[in-house]
Amino acid sequence: MSEYKAKRILFGEGYSGVQLRTGDSMDIPGGRWVAKVDQGVKKRFKQGLVSVDKPEAETRSAIAEWEKKGFTQFILEPYFEHKTEEEQYLSLERVRDGVRVLHATDGGVNIEEHPEAVGRFVISEESDIAGIAAKIGLPEPFLLHVYTVFNSSHFSFLEINPLIVRGEDVYALDAAVLVDSAAEFFASGIWSDDDVVKTKAKHVAEERVEALAATTPAALKLSVINPDGALFFLLSGGGGSIVIADEAQLEGVGHLIANYGEYSGGPTREETYLYSKEIIGMMIQSKAQKKALVIAGGVANFTDVKKTFLGIIDALKERSEELRSQGIKIFVRRGGPNEKMGLQLMRDFLQAEGLLGAVYGSDVVITQAVDDAIQYIRI
Amino acid sequence: MKTILEEVRAGADGILVVGNHPQIVQAILDFDYLAGKKSPSVVGIISGTRKAQKFFYGTGEVLVPCFKNVRAVPETLRPRVKWMLNAQSGRRTFESTVAFFETFPDALGGHLFAENVPEIHATELIRLFGKKYIIAGPSGVGILVSGALKLGAIGGTDASQIRVSKLATRGSVAVVSTSGGMTNELIRAVSGAGKRVSFSISIGGDRFPVTGLSDVLRLAESDEDTEAVVYFGELGGSDEYEIVEMLEKKELTKPIVCYIAGVIDEAFDEHMQFGHAKALVATKDQSARAKRSALKSAGAIAPETFPGFLAALMELPLPDIRDTVVDMDPLESRKASILSTREIVDLDSVPVFVQAGALVKQKENAFAGAVMHALLGREVSSETVACVENIFELLIDHGGQVSGAVNTMISARAGKDMVSSLASGLLTIGPRFGGAVNEAARAWLEGSESAIPASEYVEKKTRAGALLSGIGHRKYRVGIPDPRVAALSEFASLLEKHPYYDFAREVEKVTTGKNGNLILNVDGVMAALLLDLLAEKEGILKAELHELVDAEFFNALFIIPRSVGFIAHFLEQKRNDEGLFRLPDELLFEKKSEKKKGK
Repeated sequence: MSEYKAKRILFGEGYSGVQLRTGDSMDIPGGRWVAKVDQGVKKRFKQGLVSVDKPEAETRSAIAEWEKKGFTQFILEPYFEHKTEEEQYLSLERVRDGVRVLHATDGGVNIEEHPEAVGRFVISEESDIAGIAAKIGLPEPFLLHVYTVFNSSHFSFLEINPLIVRGEDVYALDAAVLVDSAAEFFASGIWSDDDVVKTKAKHVAEERVEALAATTPAALKLSVINPDGALFFLLSGGGGSIVIADEAQLEGVGHLIANYGEYSGGPTREETYLYSKEIIGMMIQSKAQKKALVIAGGVANFTDVKKTFLGIIDALKERSEELRSQGIKIFVRRGGPNEKMGLQLMRDFLQAEGLLGAVYGSDVVITQAVDDAIQYIRI
Repeated sequence: MKTILEEVRAGADGILVVGNHPQIVQAILDFDYLAGKKSPSVVGIISGTRKAQKFFYGTGEVLVPCFKNVRAVPETLRPRVKWMLNAQSGRRTFESTVAFFETFPDALGGHLFAENVPEIHATELIRLFGKKYIIAGPSGVGILVSGALKLGAIGGTDASQIRVSKLATRGSVAVVSTSGGMTNELIRAVSGAGKRVSFSISIGGDRFPVTGLSDVLRLAESDEDTEAVVYFGELGGSDEYEIVEMLEKKELTKPIVCYIAGVIDEAFDEHMQFGHAKALVATKDQSARAKRSALKSAGAIAPETFPGFLAALMELPLPDIRDTVVDMDPLESRKASILSTREIVDLDSVPVFVQAGALVKQKENAFAGAVMHALLGREVSSETVACVENIFELLIDHGGQVSGAVNTMISARAGKDMVSSLASGLLTIGPRFGGAVNEAARAWLEGSESAIPASEYVEKKTRAGALLSGIGHRKYRVGIPDPRVAALSEFASLLEKHPYYDFAREVEKVTTGKNGNLILNVDGVMAALLLDLLAEKEGILKAELHELVDAEFFNALFIIPRSVGFIAHFLEQKRNDEGLFRLPDELLFEKKSEKKKGK
C-alpha cells in the first residue's frame, strides 16, 4: 500500500506528512521538505523518485518532473534533521509461528548481503515483546504498538528503513507495508482494496483480464511477456501451467513465449470465452512468422473440461478465418471431469476449421502439447 | 498407538461437510461406493437452508442430513464424525473451523477448501490445531487415503477419474503437492506408472498451510503402507529446504521423487507472481533451479524435466496390486430423481375382506361405518361398511408419482403449510385423476338402465370419443388378473343380485376382445359393487343413486383416504426439507418463441 496510508495507520493523527495527488493544489509552505513518489515503486532512491531536504520551490519542481514521467501520487513530509549513524533498520513479517522481527543498528546495510549484522527474533505472543525490545534497544511501547497495529490491520510485512530512535521517541523516515489482501473484510475501516497499490498492467489484454477476474470467484491470470512471440499459452491450473511453461523454457524457446497465465477454479463457459478472446486477439496481432497456441493443463479436480472448452471454442470460432490464414495450429492436452466429451468437441472443431495441431487427454504426459507446438514453430 | 492413517484405514472415515459443495460431496460418495464401503462416509452437511440433500450412492440415492451448525449434529451421529470438510468462504473458514474442533475434539483432522483465508487466521489455526490434527489447506484439494478416505476434490470429481486413478486400491506411493491441480496430475501419473497411491495430501498453495510439508513427510515416513514419496513443488517459499533438512537428518529415509516447477520465471525481466500465493521468488535460493539442486545434493531424486520426473516414477518398486473391477456404465448413466418421499402403503399387499362367501371380520371397521353414517345419514350394513373399509385401504396412496401427490410435495417444498399443500393436491382430483370411481358409477348406472347390450353401450361411448371409466390397466391384462380386483369381486358373493357388477363384467368382455389390457380395474369394480351393495343391502332406489352420482358421492370415497396419503407425503417433505423445487431444464421441452427462431 502507499507509504502515506501505511504511516497514517501506524501513527494516526500524530503523523505530519500529507498526500498529494496530481490535480491537488501544490501549495507547499516554506521550510525543508522530503517528497517521494508514493505508488508502490521499489528502489525509488536509485530511480531519482525521492527529493530530500529541499526548499518548497525545488520540491515543487521535483514533483512536476515526476508528473511528466506519468506518476500521480506523492508523499510530502517535513525534513527530519538527523545523522546517518542514527539510522536503523526494522522489519516485521508474518511467519508460521508468529511475527518475525529483523533489526539492524546500521540502517544503510543491505540485509540480504550482510545477514550477520541483522538480529532475528520471533514474537509468538505479546509477552515476548519486552525481551526483544530490550535486546535490540527499542522502546518497548513502540514495538508493542507496531506489533498490535501489524496484527489488527492484517499486515503481512512492514519495513521501516531508516528508523531513528532518540530515547523514547521513534521516527519512521521511510515505511513500506504489504497487507494481506484476503483480509479486506476484517480490516474494514482501516484500509480497503482502493488503498492497495496495484502493479501497473502493461498490456490492454492484461488490464481486461484483471477487470474480468474481479467479477468471478474463478482465477483468471494473464501476463504478456512478448507481444510478438510465437508460442501462445491458454493454460489451466496454478501448478500445471508452470510445468508447461517450464517445458518451453527448458527446450530453449523461452524467448518465443508470448504470454503466461492460467484459468482455474471452475470458470463458466462465458468467463472462459472472455478470457480466451484476449489471448486469441493478441495472437492474431503478433508479428511472429509461425505461431502456435497451446491449450493445456493438468488433470483438473473439478473444473469441467467440456464447459471450459466450449468457451474456448466460442472464442476461436469468432476468429477462425484469421487464425487459419496465418497458418496457426492449436495443440491441446487436458484431463478432468467430462474429459472425453470436451476433447472430442475440441478435436472435431479444430479438424473442421483446419486448425488442428494435436489433441491429447490425461493418458498422455502433460507436456506433450507444448512439445508438439515447439516442434511446429521450429520447422 | 495407531497412526492417523491406520485409524482411517480401519474405518475412521466419517466426514462432516461445513458449507456445501454438492459436486465434491457426490465425488466422495462415488469414491466410497467404488471402495466397496457399505455406507457413505459423509455423515452430514452443515448448511442452514434445508434438512437433507439427495446424492447418489452407487446407482441408488441417499438423503444426507443437513444441520444448521455443528452443535446441531445429533448425539447419535457424533461418534462417527472424524473429519471436517470445510467448503465455506475464506471469510468464514476460521470461525467454523474453531467451532468444529471445539465440538469434535476427538476428530482426526480436516480440509479447508477456501483460498483467501486471511493469513492471521491461518497462523492462529496453526497455533490452535496444527500439532494435534491433520488439516490440509487453506486452499488445495484435500486429503486422500486410497480405499479409505477422500476428503475434498482430491483425485477428481467424476466417478471415472476415481476409477482411472485406481483410488479404491491401497498402494505404496505417497503423493504430496502444494498445487491442487498437480496433486491430481501426480496421482494419475502414479497409477499410470503401474503403482498405487498410499495416501495423498494437497498442502495448499497459501503461505501458511496448517499442516506443513514436514508434517506430511513425517506421516509418510511412519506409514507402513508407504514405500516412496512423490512431491511437486514450485518456485517461491522455502518448503523444499525442509525436505533437504529431513533428508540430511535421516528423518526421511524413504525415496522421494521431486519435481520443482518454475524455471519459466527466468524468462521474465522481474520475478513474477504465479498462480499460487507462495509462488513468488523473494530471494535467490527460492528459485526452482536452486531448490532442485539442493534437493539433489541431499539425496532426493529431482529430475530437470517433467518427462524425466515421470520416468523416475517408473523406476520406483512395483508392488503386487489387485484392483477391484467395477462396472462403470450404471454409474455413468444414472439419473437423479427430482422429488423424494417414502412408500406410504404397501401397494403389493391385497386386503381380503370376503372369503368363501362370507365376511372375514378382520377389523371393526368403525371409522368406515362412521363415515358412511355421516355421508348417507343412516346406519349401513356390515357388508357395505366392509366394502368401504376395503376401498379406503386401497386408496390411501398410490405412490408419490401421481399428480395429487406431486402437487402436494411441490407445495410443501415451496414452504407452504399442511392445509395449503393438501388443498393443492386435492385440487388435481377430477376427470383425469382420481375421479374415475364416480364416473364409473355413472357409467354402470346409465348402462344397466339403458337395457342395451354391453357391446352397443361400448360402441356408443367410444364412437363419441369418450374413455370408459373403470376399464383398463397399464400392467394387468387378461391372463394376469389384478389381485385387488379379484379380492374386491368377492363382495358379489354376499349379494342375491348384482346387476351393476354384471354389467361391468359384460363391458369388460367387449373391451378385452379389442385389447387384453382393457380389463375391469379397481375403480370400476369398486363403483359397481358399491352400487349393488347400496341397492340391495341399504335399499337405496335408483333415483337416489343418480342423485349420489351427480353429487359426486363416489369421489368422496377417493378423497377421504387419499387425503391421508397426501398428508403423509407432505410430512415427509417437511422432514427432509430439500428446499424449493425446480424442474431440471432437460425435463422441460420449451417451444422457442417466434423471435428466437432461426438463431
